[in-house]
Amino acid sequence: MTTTRHLAVRAFACIIAVLALPVLAGPDPQDILIASDAIRNPDFPFGLTNTLIEYRQGQQIGSSTLAIYSRADPDGGQFRSLVRYTAPARDANKLILFNGKDLWFFDPASKASVRLSPQQRLLGQASNGDVVTVNFARDYRAIAATDEDILDGERQRRRCTRLDLTATTAEATYHRIEMWVDSASARPVKARFFAESGKLLKTAYYRRYQEVFGIERPTETVIIDGLEPDWVTVMRYSAWVKRDVPQAWLQRDYLPRFTPE
Amino acid sequence: MSSRAVRRAALAVLLPGLGGAWAQDPETSALMLADEAPAIVERASDWHLFVEGAGGGRRRDGTAEDHWRLSVDIRYDHSLTRDWRVFMADRLDLGWPAQGGGDTAINTLKEAYLSWRARPDVMLDLGRINTRHGVASGYNPTDWFRAGALRSVVSIDPASLKENRQGSVMLRGQRLWEGGSLTALYSPGLERHPDRNGLSLDLGATNPRARWLITLGQNIGGLTPQFLVYREQGMPPQFGLNLTALVNDATVAHIEWSGGRAPSLLAQALPPPAPARAPNTWRNHLAAGITHTTSTRISLSAEYHYNGAGLDKAAWTALRHGPPTAYWQYRARARTTQEPPTRHGLFVHATWQDALIPRLDLGLMHNLDLTDASRRTWVEARYHVANLEYAVQWQRTHGRQTSQFGALPESRGWQAVVRYYR
Repeated sequence: MTTTRHLAVRAFACIIAVLALPVLAGPDPQDILIASDAIRNPDFPFGLTNTLIEYRQGQQIGSSTLAIYSRADPDGGQFRSLVRYTAPARDANKLILFNGKDLWFFDPASKASVRLSPQQRLLGQASNGDVVTVNFARDYRAIAATDEDILDGERQRRRCTRLDLTATTAEATYHRIEMWVDSASARPVKARFFAESGKLLKTAYYRRYQEVFGIERPTETVIIDGLEPDWVTVMRYSAWVKRDVPQAWLQRDYLPRFTPE
Repeated sequence: MSSRAVRRAALAVLLPGLGGAWAQDPETSALMLADEAPAIVERASDWHLFVEGAGGGRRRDGTAEDHWRLSVDIRYDHSLTRDWRVFMADRLDLGWPAQGGGDTAINTLKEAYLSWRARPDVMLDLGRINTRHGVASGYNPTDWFRAGALRSVVSIDPASLKENRQGSVMLRGQRLWEGGSLTALYSPGLERHPDRNGLSLDLGATNPRARWLITLGQNIGGLTPQFLVYREQGMPPQFGLNLTALVNDATVAHIEWSGGRAPSLLAQALPPPAPARAPNTWRNHLAAGITHTTSTRISLSAEYHYNGAGLDKAAWTALRHGPPTAYWQYRARARTTQEPPTRHGLFVHATWQDALIPRLDLGLMHNLDLTDASRRTWVEARYHVANLEYAVQWQRTHGRQTSQFGALPESRGWQAVVRYYR
């Protein structure tokens, strides 16, 4: 009799556990990642100014100002971007076209359009994927979500959900990413980027949230090198505008003609 | 004490001297540093200007000499309205001694044209335009408009040769679609002979005869091929192809080819009756290579060059040992058209950004003529800070007296360069 009761209790507990599983598991990690992407990236073609300031051992060693125009590829959903140097003066008006792994660099002085490999970094520590708009959910799969308390970019304790991302497309810049997003709002807070070898490449903090196009978005990313933590790049975003860049302009042959508006 | 001052004080404690030991928690230190980052946003300018001074020594025609140069380079790009745009680029070089025994002052009007966007996908340009094609680095068979474009040579660096050249007067139209474009241009013949006057527009060098060029580009599976058809008054059409492909995340391969029925370079160089060396036979030109970039920002490019209109080993040897007049006429024609005088060559180019210390870029270039085994090496160290660039360049040629590189007047030399951007 006792055995029968125990079996009944166990069966009941299993049924409850199965029914409660979706509630306990919480939302799909990939949905959190998509929500986080939507906070960083407007869902329409836009332009912004990205000011990069690079430090080593506490000393500023360089700065660049870039005008960036982005629009999502209607086929894959990833962003295509045109980056135009505004400063420093020696680089002014040089252009880089980012279209997945199809990268082109145009120098107005030589009129040369040169194809780049993804490994060719033109902006010091910041990789191409750091500078342009990226939908992580397009190139990565969030496979786990864990709640953790961490210090955010403003050095405030914040309840976050840690997402473990693995690359799913050949276009992905990094092999693996750990990303912390605010548990309540899905705001991106912090990310750690890893190479295939498991080496930490860099850590990024998303901070200085301000209202842009109707919602609070990060207006600054602080990138800390994984190997040399005193190598720091601050990327500040300003002058956000809606700009409908035609798809036909996002190709090599249009680079010599591109003008800021 | 203001909150900003408090933060600065805290930062000073964490980062002694802002250059000393990094704080215990690097991420906190980095964020505090970011708090102090200046909130300056640079604005785009229509003007782009630099002034460059250079001085050095060289061994020229067997004699050591010093040389000095002052250059002013201006670029102006202004949108008159949303659809109209004006563009101008000019460069003035003052050289002591004067280049090639000509004028001390050489002005190069690189570009001056008006551009009209008739529709978002249709554009027209009119004026002097520096149109440039080719995906290779050291030799560009599809860059037909390079002929006669060099007016003042201040460095053998391929980047410098591409920047310091004059455009051709032309009417150019372009139609775009997603992932592709069609460009057609017509460049009229305006003057027959180049003008060595330093302040001349030199239309005789860039527009000696009518020329047409049609270019079709289409992205096909990430290969982005470009097809070209070029025609010059009185000459058969020439065809071209530019192709690039990503080998892996660090390597890009490229092929640049042109071909068509044409006279040999020797027949073009010598006045009639030129040697009847298979006139107007099909001739191929090729530059093929790869560029590999390391994670430490070193880029290595290696290219093979083939010039089907240049001389093979036997003909080159015969010309070198023949009448000097024919030899130098041939060399002059090769220089003007920027074609290699011989059939086969190798080109290696390496750059290292932020080499050893931040803001220091190193460059190395090596040409090897596979026909006569002559070679040339060029190295550069360039350091930039704020609006200033400092560079030191050195070059050396090796080869017999009449070989491709051994015959160059400057057998060795160096120069120091200071450039100020405004």
